Amino acid sequence: MKKFILINLFVTLIFTSCFTQENDRFSSLFNGKNLSKWTLGEEGGFEVIKGELYTSSFGKGNNLFTKKWYCNYVLRLEYMLSDVGNSGVIIRCDPQAPWETGVEVQLLAPWTPRRDDLHCTGSLYGHVTVTNRPDETTGIWHKMEIKCDRKTITVSVDDTITTLANIDTVKTMEDKFLCGAIGLQVNHANIEGQYAKFRNIYIRDLDSETEYVTGGFYEKDTKLRSQAHAAAITLGAKMVEPLAIIMSGENPVAKSGSKQVLFDIVARATAPQTAEIYKNDVAIALKNSAKSTSSEITRNYLEWLRGMIGSSDQ
Amino acid sequence: MKTGKNINRRGFIKNAAIGIIGLPLLSNTYGIIAPSDKIRIAHIGMGNMGRAHLKWFSGFSDVETVALCDVDKIRLREKYKILQEINPNTRTDTYTDFRHILDRKDIDVITCATPDHWHALIAIMAFQSGKDVYGEKPLSYNVEEGQVMKKCMEHNNSIFQLGTQIHAGENYHRVVEIIQSGILGKIHTVRLWKTEGSPGLGFPPAEIPPDTLDWDMWLGPAPYEEYTPVRCFGSFRHFFDYSGGVFGDFWCHIADIVYMSLNPQGLYSIDTRGERPDDGIADTPRWIEADFKFKDLDLYWTTTPPPVPGAEEMYIGAHFEGTNGSLTCDYYTRKIRIGNEIIDEIPEVPKTITRSPGHQRNFLDAVKSREQPESNIAYVREMTLPMHLALISFRLKRKLKWNSLIEQFEGDNAANYLLSRAYRAPWFLPE
Repeated sequence: MKKFILINLFVTLIFTSCFTQENDRFSSLFNGKNLSKWTLGEEGGFEVIKGELYTSSFGKGNNLFTKKWYCNYVLRLEYMLSDVGNSGVIIRCDPQAPWETGVEVQLLAPWTPRRDDLHCTGSLYGHVTVTNRPDETTGIWHKMEIKCDRKTITVSVDDTITTLANIDTVKTMEDKFLCGAIGLQVNHANIEGQYAKFRNIYIRDLDSETEYVTGGFYEKDTKLRSQAHAAAITLGAKMVEPLAIIMSGENPVAKSGSKQVLFDIVARATAPQTAEIYKNDVAIALKNSAKSTSSEITRNYLEWLRGMIGSSDQ
Repeated sequence: MKTGKNINRRGFIKNAAIGIIGLPLLSNTYGIIAPSDKIRIAHIGMGNMGRAHLKWFSGFSDVETVALCDVDKIRLREKYKILQEINPNTRTDTYTDFRHILDRKDIDVITCATPDHWHALIAIMAFQSGKDVYGEKPLSYNVEEGQVMKKCMEHNNSIFQLGTQIHAGENYHRVVEIIQSGILGKIHTVRLWKTEGSPGLGFPPAEIPPDTLDWDMWLGPAPYEEYTPVRCFGSFRHFFDYSGGVFGDFWCHIADIVYMSLNPQGLYSIDTRGERPDDGIADTPRWIEADFKFKDLDLYWTTTPPPVPGAEEMYIGAHFEGTNGSLTCDYYTRKIRIGNEIIDEIPEVPKTITRSPGHQRNFLDAVKSREQPESNIAYVREMTLPMHLALISFRLKRKLKWNSLIEQFEGDNAANYLLSRAYRAPWFLPE
């Protein structure tokens, strides 16, 4: 009996920790109190009511954008539309020109005459149709997940994939940004009293995960590689060991990228305005990676970079 | 180490030269310089510039080509054939290790047209073995190497000429006279440019080096790296491991006219922007913009031509801005703008500077006279230095402050770290 309880407890712990890990990767974009992570336009258009983000303006009001720009991410949120509510989630956009630079994942009550598969909820509005039409019932909460994974965009509503887009195959999306703010479109139904509501807005920033960023070093597309390189420099010390491993590997594309980015990380670490912790962590990571690598070329390179960090301590 | 024998041989050449001047009648009677008066030359590095050296120097009647050297046997054989075409009776020796050339006491002069990362060490070892050097640009791979080269050359009383052959041309001499005449007023700004930067060179996989190439010797003091053809031969300069890209390649040619005419002093700030290629393993600038602040001059470098009249059609150039007018030039042409007038000559400015007898001739004369030549080490080292500093600013992605008296960056030890590089064993940079 005792043994059973122990095993049971153990299993529970494993499940709990897995669940926590997955959730830990998500951070909240909306705290239910204020819009600290967002930029509210001059004409408003959004307000926080009872822990929910509410847009009901009629004739005026601005779209709402995150302050931070994101490239690759999983966005989760819940939304509710009124009878003729009309809103949307704008992804990878420059708030100065949202529809030119980004695309809108549509949120639309099913009353309107333009509710074809290219313009209904879950579609990449005007670019990619839904292949699996979601439940469009108004007045209830729905879950939405948008995954921007380099050139692939996946939209799910209520845990079912509705839309899958490969940017390279969509002509109208070829010049779209691969990074940008996330926007929520102000409700713009032409009838007074209509609304869209949001709650539980969470984001998992894939570019803060070493494994994901490492994958970008192998991408054939130059833009995607540059994106991964930039993310790796931001991550700093955490990327040193994965990059040392890539550098010792066989893939010429990834190898040369990792060599250059290792230099860039050290260059940043030694900049006068860089925080001491970034520098110290990079120095430690270089030391450990130099010890553990089996490639002499990589080890010599890491030692040379260590010398550069070391010299900046004097 | 310099041997007595070498001093004697040098002394002999010098005396012979004076002898010819002193006894013109005798010289005329015999018509030719005795074979023993000939400067015995060896060429190290047999790429395109090596071939140019071979042809240039074998054209002088007082030069005998004694040896050729390259780590690549195919190139060595090719260039030997060229020499045979010029002189079917050539008895020139060929080597794959330059140290055999330095060991030979019967060689007076070497030329060096290896990749940049070998320039300094070969020159220094040549000075130590009592030889004079005609070295290809850039002077060295980094700042410290240039400092050691100068010291070592002076210590051994050697002669050094950098292969900036444009320096010897008529146009640069005339530009110097016009700038120095003051007719354009005080020159406060110079804009230099060279269109195009380093290509990416793709992502070739590593290969086993061919039997005909001594890859380890090719790398020499540079870090060990797996072989791939684009790393060496014609495109080595697009790798920071060996060079400084198109920027580092062309700097000496066009910055030369700035130093020749204005000799700017007191460099104190370097701010560089740019990008690496993103389509290959090469890592030197695809484009670069560098702002240099000197005590009395602002100097700019760009990869695209500056917005000044006429620059757009020029792939390389220098634009001098003075208080009374401007001058735009490249290697062979110049345009002077004073008010609305556009001219390429100002007859009132007298010709005051002695013209060069040619860059290679100037060097050979220096070997005989023991007076340093036109692109001497003191001059070219100062002229090359800002290029190295800009590349450090490019790599670190930040503005740097420079102390030109002690030749160190201020408040940036990582930048100072990049002024030098430890050599791969067994090579070392002598003190």
